[in-house]
Amino acid sequence: MSETNPTKAKEGELFKRFSVQFRVQHVLLFLSTLTLIVTGVPLWCMARPGHAWSHSVVSFFGDVETFRQIHRAGAAVLILVSLYHLYYTMFTKEGRREFIALLPREKDVIDVTVNSLYFLGLSRKRPEFGRYTYYEKFDYWAVYWGCVIMIGTGVALWFPEITAKYVPWLTYSLSAEVHGDEAILATLALLIWHFYNVHFNPSRFPGTWLWWHGDMSGKEMMRDHPLEYYKRVLAGIRSKRQESDTAV
Amino acid sequence: MHSGHVLMLSMYWKDVGTLRTAIFAGVWLLAVLVWPAAAKTASDTMLSRGDGSRTPAVHKIPLYTDVLTADKREKITVESDPALPFSMRGTCSECHILEHSYDVISKGWHFNATDANVPAGRPGQPWIYVDAATGTQIPLSYRAWPGTFKPDQVGMSPFKFTEHFGRHMPGGGPGEVDTKVFEEIQRQAVAGKLEINCLSCHDKDPAHDQAEWAAQIERQNFRWAAAASGGFAFVTGSAGKMDDSFDFTMPDTVTDAELIPQVPKVTYRPTAFDQKGNVFFNITNVVPAERCYFCHSDINVTTCGTRQWQADQDVHMTSGMTCVDCHREGLEHNTIRGYEGEQNSNVLAARTTCRGCHLGNGGAPPEGGRLGAPVPRHKGIPAVHFEKLTCTACHAGPWPVQETARCKTSQAHALGTHNVNKAPEVLPHIFYPVFAKQSPAATSGDGSPASRPKIGPHKLIWPAYWGTLTEDKVQPVDLATVAKDVGAALKDAKVPRTGDWAPLKSEQIAQALKALGESVKGKAVYIAGGVLYELDDQGKLAGRKGHPAAAPYMWPIGHNVRPAAQSLGVDQCDVCHSKQAPFFFGKVSADSPVQDGGVAGMRMADLYKADGPVNVRVNLFFRWLIIIVMTLLILHILGDLYRRGLVWLGGKFGSARQAGDGSKGKP
Repeated sequence: MSETNPTKAKEGELFKRFSVQFRVQHVLLFLSTLTLIVTGVPLWCMARPGHAWSHSVVSFFGDVETFRQIHRAGAAVLILVSLYHLYYTMFTKEGRREFIALLPREKDVIDVTVNSLYFLGLSRKRPEFGRYTYYEKFDYWAVYWGCVIMIGTGVALWFPEITAKYVPWLTYSLSAEVHGDEAILATLALLIWHFYNVHFNPSRFPGTWLWWHGDMSGKEMMRDHPLEYYKRVLAGIRSKRQESDTAV
Repeated sequence: MHSGHVLMLSMYWKDVGTLRTAIFAGVWLLAVLVWPAAAKTASDTMLSRGDGSRTPAVHKIPLYTDVLTADKREKITVESDPALPFSMRGTCSECHILEHSYDVISKGWHFNATDANVPAGRPGQPWIYVDAATGTQIPLSYRAWPGTFKPDQVGMSPFKFTEHFGRHMPGGGPGEVDTKVFEEIQRQAVAGKLEINCLSCHDKDPAHDQAEWAAQIERQNFRWAAAASGGFAFVTGSAGKMDDSFDFTMPDTVTDAELIPQVPKVTYRPTAFDQKGNVFFNITNVVPAERCYFCHSDINVTTCGTRQWQADQDVHMTSGMTCVDCHREGLEHNTIRGYEGEQNSNVLAARTTCRGCHLGNGGAPPEGGRLGAPVPRHKGIPAVHFEKLTCTACHAGPWPVQETARCKTSQAHALGTHNVNKAPEVLPHIFYPVFAKQSPAATSGDGSPASRPKIGPHKLIWPAYWGTLTEDKVQPVDLATVAKDVGAALKDAKVPRTGDWAPLKSEQIAQALKALGESVKGKAVYIAGGVLYELDDQGKLAGRKGHPAAAPYMWPIGHNVRPAAQSLGVDQCDVCHSKQAPFFFGKVSADSPVQDGGVAGMRMADLYKADGPVNVRVNLFFRWLIIIVMTLLILHILGDLYRRGLVWLGGKFGSARQAGDGSKGKP
């Protein structure tokens, strides 16, 4: 019986990395986020000196109310997908497994340290990552934190009367300040950090279709998530053994 | 008759007598209670309400003096010699006699300031006494408006007050108060009383000249001022130049050749009298706005200089309304001031506010939309704005900018009078628009959330005056003492021709305080620009900011109203909700004659305890968070690129193979 060598990826080998559930959530998330950025930036800039262009952009597409409505439509999608994600992580087996895999661990701290040393030339080897690298976990938790902040303050801005009644300390101006500031951080992190990791990174440029089909090649997995690769391959060998043992 | 029967009868009559007495007393009491109401109803029917005709009554009437001859007022004719000034009380009371109309009118808002029983209401514009030479700019008012001083507190009698500020009063009030200052009794007899001048407001004659009224008051011609302002008389001379024995009914008794040309004299246009000896008064009960403007104009001297044509009008005026459409009054002249918490006997008062006309109260018939007032939808504006802001916050006054502008007003700067100082720098310095919380007096005060003071635009002055400090309370020193003691100490200070502050140095203030301290009880202090100056134990000048006595005085802006399309926040929340927004962070200017003493600088938010500073801290937190996070992320990207570059170079030139990626590592 010939066995697969787990340290070498086979040509044409494919692994399902993200399920349909995961991919649909991601698509809705990035569509709503991009809508929110595109409409939010001109709204934020409109009353600031030196941003006359934002008035032109808004008037080109209609008026400020139209922009606001599109922004709120995007926000509604983000809220829905966030609520669904909560359900997904709490009430589905897959969701719980993914959530647990995304929790920060001691190894992540070691990985950050080793990777930093590697960047500085003080280590010859990159750390070997599992299903999620520490920077992917950072992405996830940044979005998590961002959604809580943005949705919280956004709803306060959307329904100020109700907010004033039930959460009087969260004033309109405070919400607007936090909403705007957090939006800047999220937009910068998305456009610089996340886009680098999935688009501009030389090994992935100009991008990967992973978000669409959910499949990752064995080579890619071996390179970026070797521990996950070994786990999957060994699990495959084990199941094959079990199948042959049963046949015998 | 049986004695018992007699006794019973006498008792019976006694009871009947008691009963009759009781009935008589009851009827008498009822009559006493009902009579005034019945009389009032009758007078309302006959006088206040008119006969219902909208055609104004034509006033072709005889002129009367206030001189009584055999209990009758003396009539003025074209032949009268000497011609005496006509009296408003005498002339108008001939017909407006019911309920003593003149006395009723004299209790109206424009004339009742000296009546301590009249509720002061929302703080309004004070009279500002200015003396650039002594660095004085002090708000005065007979009304109990916190932050103002009663004229008596600075040693200003009603007569002096009239002499100083009567130029922009329609007469009455302090102008008719009998002076209690012994030295002024004769002087008041010479000058006369400043009667209510009905023409100040009701004259539609284009020849009416209120500036001439002001000029007459400057010459102490109180008695002649009304005649001079009308279009059918001409007044020369000056009562102020006459000695205390002058009798205006006998002007020919003045024999001093130098004084004869100065004898006050009125000349009536002969053609003004018709064949019956009546004079036509072009009177209207719909007061033209031009009459109001004389006392109620203002101009932004920061943006417009003194060029009125560069300023926009109130949107109500451009839509064809006039002042009295909102500021209504009946015979009693209880002018509706037009704010929400106003206590006014006028039944229309509660409905003649911004809210009253534009929103109504949902009753039937609907009040919102009166006079064509558009009913705003305020779509998209959170309701919290209407709880926290007055209508004027967004709709009235100049558009707020980073630092408050300066303005001049008729009452403060004698606008519209002859030889007025037109320089933009002239004192007093009034700043606007300043967003601050309303005075509680501007609200209904019923404790409901809607009655809480709201934020609205105000005009502001920083009081500058000399006073005495006792138990940390400041009382102003009378103006005569200030002029004598402080004036002498500051004799070297030069007052600019513009009428601006005379620049003063700390040493000069210290010197003046020392001089003043010798003639007043208590510790002499000077207040200017929000700073209280006093001499410390070593005799050195010390300044204290934040003392209540140095706080600015503010009064609300009700005009000029801007239309919806020019209101604050139209299409842009960030006009107010941003870090640069003048509404929160605009600088409230302060100025002072003391060049090296500093001023109490503040921002708008300081005046209503807004949450601006909290937001600044939040912004600071996020700013550093963004800087730190993005720096780390970018360093990570650069590190990754650097190592990938090395690997790429190694692969290209066959070296550094070991610097490769994780795929070459062991599982």
